[in-house]
Amino acid sequence: MADRYSFSLTTFSPSGKLVQIEYALNAVNQGVTALGIKATNGIVLATEKKSSSPLADPSSLSKISLITPNIGMVYSGMGPDYRVLVDRARKVSHTGYKRIYNEYPPTRILVQDVARVMQEATQSGGVRPYGVSLLVAGWDEGILPESEEEAAGAAPVMGDDDDEKKKHPTGKTGGILKGGPMLYQVDPSGSYFPWKATAIGKSATTAKTFLEKRYTEGLELEDAVHIALLTLKETIEGEMNGETIEIGIVGPPADHLLGVEGVEGAKGPRFRKLTPQEIEDYLTNL
Amino acid sequence: MDLGRWIIGGSLRPCALLSLASVRSVHPDRLKLQCAFPLELQSSRHRDLGPVPTNNLKLPLADLHLLSNFVHNIAKMEILLGITGKDFTLIAASKAAMRGATILKASDDKTRHLNKHTLMAYSGEAGDTVQFAEYIQANAQLYSMRNESDLSPSALANFVRGELATSLRSRKPYNVNLLLGGVDPITHKPSLYWLDYLAALAPLPYAAHGYAQYYCLSILDKHHHPDITLGQGIKLLTLCTDELKRRLPVDFKGMTVKAVTKDGIVDIEFNDDKVVKSA
Amino acid sequence: MSGIFAINGGACVAMVGKDCVAIACDLRLGLQALTVSNNFPKIFQYGDVFLGLTGLATDVSTVSDLFRYKVNMYRLREERDIAPRTFANLVSSTLYEKRFGPYFVGPVVAGLDPKTGEPFICGFDSIGCIDFAKDFIVSGTATDQLFGMCESLWEPDMTPDQLFETISQSLLNAVDRDALSGWGAHVYIIEKDKVTKRLLKGRQD
Repeated sequence: MADRYSFSLTTFSPSGKLVQIEYALNAVNQGVTALGIKATNGIVLATEKKSSSPLADPSSLSKISLITPNIGMVYSGMGPDYRVLVDRARKVSHTGYKRIYNEYPPTRILVQDVARVMQEATQSGGVRPYGVSLLVAGWDEGILPESEEEAAGAAPVMGDDDDEKKKHPTGKTGGILKGGPMLYQVDPSGSYFPWKATAIGKSATTAKTFLEKRYTEGLELEDAVHIALLTLKETIEGEMNGETIEIGIVGPPADHLLGVEGVEGAKGPRFRKLTPQEIEDYLTNL
Repeated sequence: MDLGRWIIGGSLRPCALLSLASVRSVHPDRLKLQCAFPLELQSSRHRDLGPVPTNNLKLPLADLHLLSNFVHNIAKMEILLGITGKDFTLIAASKAAMRGATILKASDDKTRHLNKHTLMAYSGEAGDTVQFAEYIQANAQLYSMRNESDLSPSALANFVRGELATSLRSRKPYNVNLLLGGVDPITHKPSLYWLDYLAALAPLPYAAHGYAQYYCLSILDKHHHPDITLGQGIKLLTLCTDELKRRLPVDFKGMTVKAVTKDGIVDIEFNDDKVVKSA
Repeated sequence: MSGIFAINGGACVAMVGKDCVAIACDLRLGLQALTVSNNFPKIFQYGDVFLGLTGLATDVSTVSDLFRYKVNMYRLREERDIAPRTFANLVSSTLYEKRFGPYFVGPVVAGLDPKTGEPFICGFDSIGCIDFAKDFIVSGTATDQLFGMCESLWEPDMTPDQLFETISQSLLNAVDRDALSGWGAHVYIIEKDKVTKRLLKGRQD
């Protein structure tokens, strides 16, 4: 009986808008700013850790989460909703992928799975949309941007025929032959966008304007971290230090995080969070 | 496997039950016996030792299969024949409806028209056959009504296979062997599909089910040609039925014969009264 | 001779060469000793990956159809062809899903890694345990014979032509000593940007 009369709370207004989703976006736009920048060799995700009281212990709070060894996520909006989505993302990356193919999902697949969860909340009965926007950063195995350019340059010389080209569809967003860093934003409506650099939350507009000015093609990860901190500095309300800033990076495999040495073929996670000490180091060089 | 159900159902004769029991109970001992033999003896003996499981899993389908073999001895007496030619597919089925040693009916039609140019013949366990055939027939007709176009014989064959394969892993699978003959409504190509109760599907130029396979396939191997005319096909069919009359221990009461051509399904007058002297 | 895996008969073999792989199967479909069809291929192509399936004919069809569906869905979702190793893991997890009511098949996978071009072959048992191999994989009712043939004919770093000769001779001579398989064969030679399929007539008795 309960589910027969359980209607979706998200229904069309006469003007064709789904106001519940707009309200969810409002919740996001009140959230703490989070940003992501894609570099040639990695990605940086950054946000402010704002605590409501000086008595709170900031070291126990974590807003950037690892989903798979190569994919991480940050949010803006409602913290509890975010935790649910992190759980679902981690779960689905195993049940829907790792346990089937014995490998972790590429970033776009993970993004699509999370986006599906969020979309379902806009059409199902008895639920409200998630009050968060996400930035998902990951590294995909595949043809890296550099080698892709090389291949494109070499192709005419070698006189490759048509079917060779068919095997390498290029220029398609998220075509997963494409490897390297991937940065996506997912909204409460379930729509998602790939970005070179973007920001979500309270000061997203300011941050994006700033990023537009500072972003250049061919950015290195170290520069990206630098720009991320500068952008954050523009929008931050409190003090900036290793305790109040959170940074996650997608970079080279972090073999020191494996916990073991000498296992053949073992590669460390590409996604990791910077320690407060590392953040302090970056801040002093700012 | 619920033995009681089968005994009450009456489909197992006492002797079949005995051999079933022996397969089930003696068989692990036989296995031990086999391993106890010196190596030289093993190779010469192991052929006679009955089914040897290829792995030690307890498999539901394994039980099913053992059982089906016994149930099937009766059904194997039923004859299904199919022959394709230049522009036709011939389907023939024996007219006798049998239950154990008794012939219940001498004018049984073991075929169903699926659509204008596809015909299906069936044999197997009594209730299952008609039930399954008419289920398929209903679905084929429903498709034709909904879409105002008929499914091709190959599409139907694969549909039937899917249904039979799903049924195979259900609690009570259909025990039905099928021949599906047709002429493609667009290309006018004749086709014939052989399907057994396990849902193994094979497209063939000519086919048979049951004991008829052992008598007729060799005849068809020798005399069949893809370009034969309908007349030649019927002659070939007569060659087969003559041999069956000569060698099958039961009177199968003649054959219902139907031909599928591009113009549809036609009944073929077939002389059942011809007396063939037994061998 | 008896057992579910041997009702219909059939054999399959895959081999590694230098920058190439080969996979071959016989064409027989039988019911115990009776041959029903001599045109029942047991190799299926999914993009650049090849799957050989021996065992119970109904499950050969069911499983090949199932993987056609799964691989097509993968291709649509991921906008790329599935890699042999990924496909092998898909086969494994799919078969293990039916651990207590398995498909009665002995699958073989062959292909080239799309990124490195490295040859990849592997085999499975009916519940999905993967058997990776650097040389060859055999499956079906002529397994014993195929092991003998492959063990004596296979050598490392064969060219596509040598590989074709080796796999064909291995299969043909193996099935000639097995009553339940034979009646012609299909042979696939897979190179970086070329796949050659050949039909071997074989003995028709």
